[in-house]
Amino acid sequence: MEAASIAETASAPPPARKVGDVLNAYALPLLLFGALVAQFIYEPTGTLENVKTGLSNGMVWALIALGYTLVYGIVELINFAHGEVFMIGAFVSTSLMQTFGVTDQTSLAVIIVVIILFLALAMTASATLNVLIERAAYRPLRNAPKLAPLITAIGMSFILQNVGLLWRPTPDQVPDLIGSHDVYFTIFKVDVLHSDVFAVIVTVPLLIALLWFVGNTRYGKAMRATAQDPDAARLMGIDVDRTISLTFLLGGTMAGAAGLIYALYNLTVRFNMGFTAGLIAFTAAVMGGIGNLKGAVIGGLIIGVIQAVSDGGNFLGLQLGEAWTPAVVFGILILVMVFRPQGLFGEETREG
Amino acid sequence: MSEQITAVDQIANPPKGELLLDAAGVSKVFGGLVAVNDVNFIVPRKAIVSLIGPNGAGKTTFFNCLTGLYRPTTGRVTFDGQDITAKRPDLVTQAGIARTFQNIKLFRTMTATENVQVGMHPRLRSRVTGMILRTPFVRREEREGREKARELLDFVGLKRKDELAMNLPYGDQRRLEIARALASEPRLLLLDEPTAGMNAQESEELRQLMERLRTEQDVSILLIEHDMKVIMNVSDHITVLDHGEKIAEGTPQEVRQNPRVIEAYLGSQA
Amino acid sequence: MTGSVAALRDTGSSIGGWLPRWAWMIIALIAAILFPYIAGSGDFLDASIQTLAYVIMALGLNIVVGFAGLLDLGYVAFYAIGAFVIGWFGSQQFPDVNGGKGIHILVSDRSTFQPKLSGGKLDIAGIHINFFFVLFIAMAITALWGVLLGAPTLRLRGDYLAIVTLAFGEIVPRIFENSTSGLFGIGSTDFSHGRQGITPIDTINLPWSHDILYTDANLRPAYWVALGMVVFTIFVNRRLRDSRLGRAWIAVREDEVAAASMGVNLVRTKLWAYAMGAAFGGFAGVFLGSYNNTVNVDQFEFGFSVFILAMVIVGGMGNIWGVIVGAIALSMMNRYGLPQLNNLSEPLGFDVTAISFGIFGFFLLIMMVLRPEGLIPSGRRRLELHEAEIDGDIEDARPVGDMSQMYEVRQ
Repeated sequence: MEAASIAETASAPPPARKVGDVLNAYALPLLLFGALVAQFIYEPTGTLENVKTGLSNGMVWALIALGYTLVYGIVELINFAHGEVFMIGAFVSTSLMQTFGVTDQTSLAVIIVVIILFLALAMTASATLNVLIERAAYRPLRNAPKLAPLITAIGMSFILQNVGLLWRPTPDQVPDLIGSHDVYFTIFKVDVLHSDVFAVIVTVPLLIALLWFVGNTRYGKAMRATAQDPDAARLMGIDVDRTISLTFLLGGTMAGAAGLIYALYNLTVRFNMGFTAGLIAFTAAVMGGIGNLKGAVIGGLIIGVIQAVSDGGNFLGLQLGEAWTPAVVFGILILVMVFRPQGLFGEETREG
Repeated sequence: MSEQITAVDQIANPPKGELLLDAAGVSKVFGGLVAVNDVNFIVPRKAIVSLIGPNGAGKTTFFNCLTGLYRPTTGRVTFDGQDITAKRPDLVTQAGIARTFQNIKLFRTMTATENVQVGMHPRLRSRVTGMILRTPFVRREEREGREKARELLDFVGLKRKDELAMNLPYGDQRRLEIARALASEPRLLLLDEPTAGMNAQESEELRQLMERLRTEQDVSILLIEHDMKVIMNVSDHITVLDHGEKIAEGTPQEVRQNPRVIEAYLGSQA
Repeated sequence: MTGSVAALRDTGSSIGGWLPRWAWMIIALIAAILFPYIAGSGDFLDASIQTLAYVIMALGLNIVVGFAGLLDLGYVAFYAIGAFVIGWFGSQQFPDVNGGKGIHILVSDRSTFQPKLSGGKLDIAGIHINFFFVLFIAMAITALWGVLLGAPTLRLRGDYLAIVTLAFGEIVPRIFENSTSGLFGIGSTDFSHGRQGITPIDTINLPWSHDILYTDANLRPAYWVALGMVVFTIFVNRRLRDSRLGRAWIAVREDEVAAASMGVNLVRTKLWAYAMGAAFGGFAGVFLGSYNNTVNVDQFEFGFSVFILAMVIVGGMGNIWGVIVGAIALSMMNRYGLPQLNNLSEPLGFDVTAISFGIFGFFLLIMMVLRPEGLIPSGRRRLELHEAEIDGDIEDARPVGDMSQMYEVRQ
């Protein structure tokens, strides 16, 4: 109990803590919302466009962020190699789509079946990979100082990136199975594309399924118990090792799905897509409150919008654009971790 | 002996100027749990005062409120006329309060001497440029510091001065904690269960050490303890906490016979 | 057991046995100075010079990670800042300064790659300050940024601290990269020349001389400058380690609560660690920027931060000499080990260099799983981490979750 409060007392004590607490709770969402409104006033159509793109992208970030949050919730470790798990999912999907020569000329029914199949395969691949990573890099170091598993995870991340590099030394084209950039419908002057719809159609059921699983099944209960208190869980007869593996499996599954969606959405895959994607999704997880599933999803959407607005190029007069977006997102990561490490929905507990 | 009596009188009716520590209305609330509830507490100069109570009574939490590790939810702590409520722990130490810990918190990979030297940190005046250049001032300060550290280790009876803290036997580790706390030249020393895990002889040695501190060094001691023998023999005054509240205080004799105290420790009569 | 280990730690005694410690250091220094004469070919000497620069950075990071226990994954940012400082103050990057005539402080025609002018006046645009001055300017600037980037992280621990420092390590080079036309669209100065980078960079000349110190044909003076910088770094590190601040760092690393309770100002102590660590990053960054004759954002990637961190870990965190050996080992392995492996595998049709990144990753993995205490732990360290295995004695087995397990005992 002692160590936690050093952080409290490190700065001068403000007298009116109640007001400060309330402000603190709402400052972040208010700030974000305010910025969006300001941008909307500044540039209405562009902003709506960005919001739409952001929400679809955000689906991908949400799925990856769930992987981070699930793992952190249960073993209190940042799975550094998670971005690469996403990348491998995308690579597997792309290879499958390239090999089986399916194009957007094929009938819709076949495409749907094929995509579902490929989705399952990509999710399996990523899930298996994530479980293997846990076994190889995390389990042996479960009791080691936190530095050790972090380094091994970085090591795994490098190994996997190299695998990706060997697999595809140059960025690769993804067959446009869903007519990614075709317009599905237009609303408020904003074009909603096939890819946007696809992202939603795939992500939402997955999210519902995951939330249901964690909230309503025995296994989900085991996960939540282990996250709260591994020793007590063990005493209750829960196989902690298997529960942890299951968590990694679920996280990997989500990342695999994200990989396929991303591949079909962006139509290119690169060996280092996991690194940046991982950091962006991690920012989403932190913003939502690490360990909180709902938070990961909402964080993903928020970060997606932020990214889209930044990519758009003009934020309230500041010249941004794609080159600046990573810096913007990382800047937000830093701000959140420094000023509100518990994110939007996390508890006010010690961090790290 | 006469000094002891004076101390007790002072507690009964202390003139304000004679108070070293004055904690008034201190509470600490964690979410739903009230760990310390409106505790008033004083420590006069040259006194040895004890704080006892069953496990979980809030004693260490109270200590932490005094030294700045916790910010008290309410209350005020005055030390030698200075308001130190909720001040950072390093500032509290600088003001003249030092402490030991219930679970030993030594710097494990440093030697005993080095641990004590860290304790001196607030009293040393070396600046970074001086450290890099190793000016005569810094060299002298380091040399004198090392000598003083070794003297303190002698004072507490620790012989293996160059041994790593983590390799010291338990009793020596407790002694080292005290030496390290003394290194900051405190006027008030907070000891949190210093005799835990010690045998009868070691406890007696510690008790004698505390007496010497009081008489030779003008250090007041505030003691959390469970060892009744030590407490009864060394305390000028005892305060009893239970469930975060002060339930009794007085001389060792008074407290020993207080029915509420007995009840708190042993449970109520069936 | 404890008796013999305690004897080992006795500063009066030596490791080799028959000479006191300081004598070994003098011998090592002389050997290092004479090294270029036996280093032979230019390539090996070049590798050694780069290695010396990495040694400086590893020692700098050792202050942050090894002494103070602050997990920093973004050290490359300070390398970048140092390199860009000489990119700005030792090149023609700012052609409009001083009405196009440039500023020249104790540089020469030769160091700025200009033909000799009659009358001795220099006529090149840009800011050109003598290398040795830039070294210290950069140290000051980098130290300042160490404090600025470190300050927000003070309340973070473990993983969170690592990620934030990583984020900084990503942001800083990107800001440089995107500042080709002002900052965020404000102003129009080109600070970095984007992906092409700044080149050429002035080479080293002594402030009182027109001559340049080294050429591609004769790299030895460059080696000695680097060696001098290394000696300076070691000197400062040792002084700090054995001082009030050094003890405060280790105390903070071991137990923040106890350190604060002993009167250590946590904020100041940590900021000093960041400042000093960063300063050495910039220090080496200036040298490498000049030595490599180019400053380019591609040089500053996350992998570099990990590379330097690996040196610190391999050497045994907190152990100055261990970190030096770790830096030399990793740098040489990177430069020569891989190509050697390639020689072995080429006949098999296998290009090892294509998987060098992966090999590094594998190395990290193996190192942490098998030997987290580093290459050169103190005898006590190794014993502590493996005692439980050897004796199976539960009492002696320390909880491995203890962070202090990985750190070097001060010698």
